[in-house]
Amino acid sequence: MKKVLALALCLMMVGTLASGCGKETTENKGNADNIGITEAPTQEGEVTPDVTEGAKKVEIDTSKTIKIGVLVSDATTPEALAFRSYYTDYIQKQYNVEFVYSDELKDAAGEKSAIDTLVTNNCKAIISFSSFDRPAQIEQCAGAKVYYAVATGTLTQEQYDKYKDNEYYVGAIGPSLEDEYQTGYDMAKRYIDLGNTNYAIFGGAIPYFTDMHIYRAAGMLTAMVEAGGADANYLGATTKEAIVQQIYADSGIQTGNIGSLSIVAYVGGYDMNDAWFAQCAQMAQTKDLQVILAVGNGSDFFGAAIKGADVKIASVDAYASSYGDAMNAGMLDYLAGKFSASIGPVFAAVYSTVNGYPIRTDEGYALALSQGYWIAASSDEFQKYYAVDSSKESPAYTKSALDILVGSDYKTFSDFVSKYSFDEVVQLSK
Amino acid sequence: MKKNRMNIIKRLIGISIIPLGTLWIMLAFCSVRGVILFESEGNYIAFFRAAAAVMLTTFALSINLNSGRFDFSIGSISLLSSVVSATVCMKLGLPVGVMLILSLILGAVLGAVSGIIYVFIQLPPIIVSLGVALLFEGAAFAFTKGYGVSFVTNIELISFPGILNYSLVILIGLVAIIFLFEYTQFGYEYKTLLSGQKVAVNIGIKEKTNAILCYIISGGLMGVVGFITATNTGNIQIALNFGSIGVMFTAFLPMFIGGFIGRFCNEKIGYLLGAVTTAFISLTYARLNVSSSVQQIVTAIILVIFLIYLNNENKLKQLFMFDRKVYADKEQK
Amino acid sequence: MKKIDVQKQILKIAPVVALLILFAVFYMVGTIKDINVAYGMKAIINQSVVVAIVATGAVFIYTLGSFDISLGASVAVSALLGGIVYNATKSILLMLAVCVGIAVLVALFNSVLASVFNLPVFVTTIAMLSILNAVVLMLISANGTGSQIAVPSEAVAGLDNLGIKVLVLFLFEALCIFVFNFTKIGRKQKFLGSNPVCAKLTGISDKKMSIVAFVMSGIGVGLGAFLCIIYAPTLTKNTATSVGMDVIIAIVFGGMPVSGGARSKITAALIGAFSMTFLSQIMILFNLNLGIGQMVKAAIFLFVVFVATSNQRAKMLPR
Repeated sequence: MKKVLALALCLMMVGTLASGCGKETTENKGNADNIGITEAPTQEGEVTPDVTEGAKKVEIDTSKTIKIGVLVSDATTPEALAFRSYYTDYIQKQYNVEFVYSDELKDAAGEKSAIDTLVTNNCKAIISFSSFDRPAQIEQCAGAKVYYAVATGTLTQEQYDKYKDNEYYVGAIGPSLEDEYQTGYDMAKRYIDLGNTNYAIFGGAIPYFTDMHIYRAAGMLTAMVEAGGADANYLGATTKEAIVQQIYADSGIQTGNIGSLSIVAYVGGYDMNDAWFAQCAQMAQTKDLQVILAVGNGSDFFGAAIKGADVKIASVDAYASSYGDAMNAGMLDYLAGKFSASIGPVFAAVYSTVNGYPIRTDEGYALALSQGYWIAASSDEFQKYYAVDSSKESPAYTKSALDILVGSDYKTFSDFVSKYSFDEVVQLSK
Repeated sequence: MKKNRMNIIKRLIGISIIPLGTLWIMLAFCSVRGVILFESEGNYIAFFRAAAAVMLTTFALSINLNSGRFDFSIGSISLLSSVVSATVCMKLGLPVGVMLILSLILGAVLGAVSGIIYVFIQLPPIIVSLGVALLFEGAAFAFTKGYGVSFVTNIELISFPGILNYSLVILIGLVAIIFLFEYTQFGYEYKTLLSGQKVAVNIGIKEKTNAILCYIISGGLMGVVGFITATNTGNIQIALNFGSIGVMFTAFLPMFIGGFIGRFCNEKIGYLLGAVTTAFISLTYARLNVSSSVQQIVTAIILVIFLIYLNNENKLKQLFMFDRKVYADKEQK
Repeated sequence: MKKIDVQKQILKIAPVVALLILFAVFYMVGTIKDINVAYGMKAIINQSVVVAIVATGAVFIYTLGSFDISLGASVAVSALLGGIVYNATKSILLMLAVCVGIAVLVALFNSVLASVFNLPVFVTTIAMLSILNAVVLMLISANGTGSQIAVPSEAVAGLDNLGIKVLVLFLFEALCIFVFNFTKIGRKQKFLGSNPVCAKLTGISDKKMSIVAFVMSGIGVGLGAFLCIIYAPTLTKNTATSVGMDVIIAIVFGGMPVSGGARSKITAALIGAFSMTFLSQIMILFNLNLGIGQMVKAAIFLFVVFVATSNQRAKMLPR
């Protein structure tokens, strides 16, 4: 009897959960015009491009649902969730596509397994937010004859040169390391111009050698070296390259003076243990500290610790409502944030390619386009950006804006992507 | 009389040698580097917070582990209970005290769910706890749509960190646990089951009820741990795929230290002192900016050395001709 | 009486039945959803093989009633050192030798620590987990600037095929089955796992058996590390982090009692590893919300293990 009860309990659990999930799936599927999964048209497919002047106008066969795989190495940060929401809550409703997401990937082996799984699921293209081994991803996708694109990132020059000719490599759109460097530089410069001299740096994933965090920090340090006076240097380094090298060598940032400016404290990593939280609190409460420059999310880790103190926090992340609250409450002063719709153009490129209209440079190479951040330096600015960014009906890049890109030429596409500031994006959408 | 006094002195030494010895070593390390261990109020708060959270986690882990029930799910209980309590309190504008009580209750409820699943499906607890950890992590994700909870701007809810509040948590937690396990029917039955499961069941002790109660208490304690962690930064991040189990590992060193100290006083006080010891170490790591990899290695080596000592105490005593008489007496007994 | 026997036999093969059911569900749902089932099968073998090998070796430890939580970290350290050695020598054989050698050394260190100093194995492996995780970070940073240690993909591309992986799996499985089922070692280990006091009284050395168990597990870890490099030659701090928990899940999924003893089965790891991968693939087919998906996975996991271990219930609560 007990066994029967236990079995029934297990079955009930499975049944209840499964029924809940069934609902979720149905809701997702309900958005598509056609639930049947069929092959996307090939390059020589039935569709006929209708080219007009400037932005090309093309006819896409929308009767067939196209599956697009998405590789993610992060599933829980505001940035990752905002991106996912844009694809699943907006794009999936506007276009006849279905996004199949990977689990949260932890390493290159995970990426490879996930690509295999997505290919098994008949995904015609894969958009990757995961960067453990991009060359391997490209080669695997090409081997499986599946299109591949990088979202919110770029390849190194060496990698690009190797794969730019590959017909299955659609391209990469996102902040380049140069953009990351500039983002850190601009952030520090702002506070230097305001006359602040004492800084703390939150190094995020620098101890794990995450390139974008290292370049953002290098930008901050370079700005300090430039503003610190004639002999200012960071551990002897004065140029961008030397500073980047120094950070890699130390896998962190050393405190000390940079000319007339000071780095009074530093914390790196995401250990999230008692010692790490104590280090964070200690950093936020360092005597004479004026500004915390974070290469990632700063307000969530330091906001509570600075309450009552006149310390500003500057972060790099995305436009999430919690940051709006933090800005409103004075716990976040500056945000360089990716806007969720910034991944719209990479979708358009993939969608266009899968439907037989690849977008390549004039030489026939894959896309390599840079796209930076929206900078909010006040609560009002943040709210203005957030209202657009969080909209499920009319996000920064709407369908009509993205339709310009589908089947367009390289110039139209690159011009569109290069105009990524808030005002330009709003203008484009109009 | 003289013997009694000797006993008391010996006990006092046994109770205090590890925490005081650790404090002395940590102070020495800090002074070599020219750092003051307790320099500011923030350092004290960090110390008391670590002591409170680690003590409660150690209680939560040991309640079931001492009974042979390994529980991977305690971290997920702490996560889910704090996510729900923080969301409710934010939405309804409730004070931080209510969040504490709500976390405790939710933790206990989740612990009960875990215990009931264990008792009903009768799988080894380690397996059940793996399933439950996945279940609660998934629920926390679904509840917050993956965003976790951020209440960094809610001054009321982040007002909890403070020496007095953490001290009260430690005191109330300790007294409650000692009361429950030393002075109640449940506690007696728990100890009976601990010393002989089969005999205890045969004499009519309701093992299943006792096990569920253990899970409830353990869950309640983890609810409070979740509350302490959440109110520290005003931010709760979601973990998936066993990302929550790390919390459990913080409790092993204090549990073994507590086990040693427990020879000279109540075991639960031993756990508190074990937590205090690890809090000294954590604060030193923070004050000296010790890198994560060095922290991991040092903590692991301390754990191993301590265990080697505990498991080979008698041999070591023999080896160093220390306290030969006591050893001989014990052998005779 | 006969009815009970039949029931027992059915329950004995319950893990295999569970695997077949999961395969059938994958096949049916996959066909309905028009997925590439053949490609999926290859993917499933690729995804299961490392966990299957590491878990098969780990069965020796589980049989003794212990368990090792540091296996994932051990795979990572062995693979990183194997990768470093390959980059220095360009020798695949040396890389394989280093992977297996380091893994066996780590395992031996664990077992010697546990048996010589009488430490509880599980706690030793917790400490080892911390140490190995730290070593991973140190190896990566010692290797120069950058977040990875990468073996050139061309160097291992030729080995990255199902034939080699299945062969390694088959050979290791055969070795383990032979040692476990056809030598004294397996019987002694089962005896020690079932009743350590009696086993010791009959002259079985728990220390020797513990060392043998860890060495077998080390070989599995080393082969797993080698296959990890072949599969994905870019190694980072997170390489194989999930393997540790996957091994535990695979072993229990395959119907192995966590208390070890006489009912331990080498094949449990293999069956469990494949069951686990089928389940993950099925979850992806439904394209669920991450949180809900994980909850469903948890419920199915408990259900399958419940069914697979139905013949292991006792009167008292299991510990």
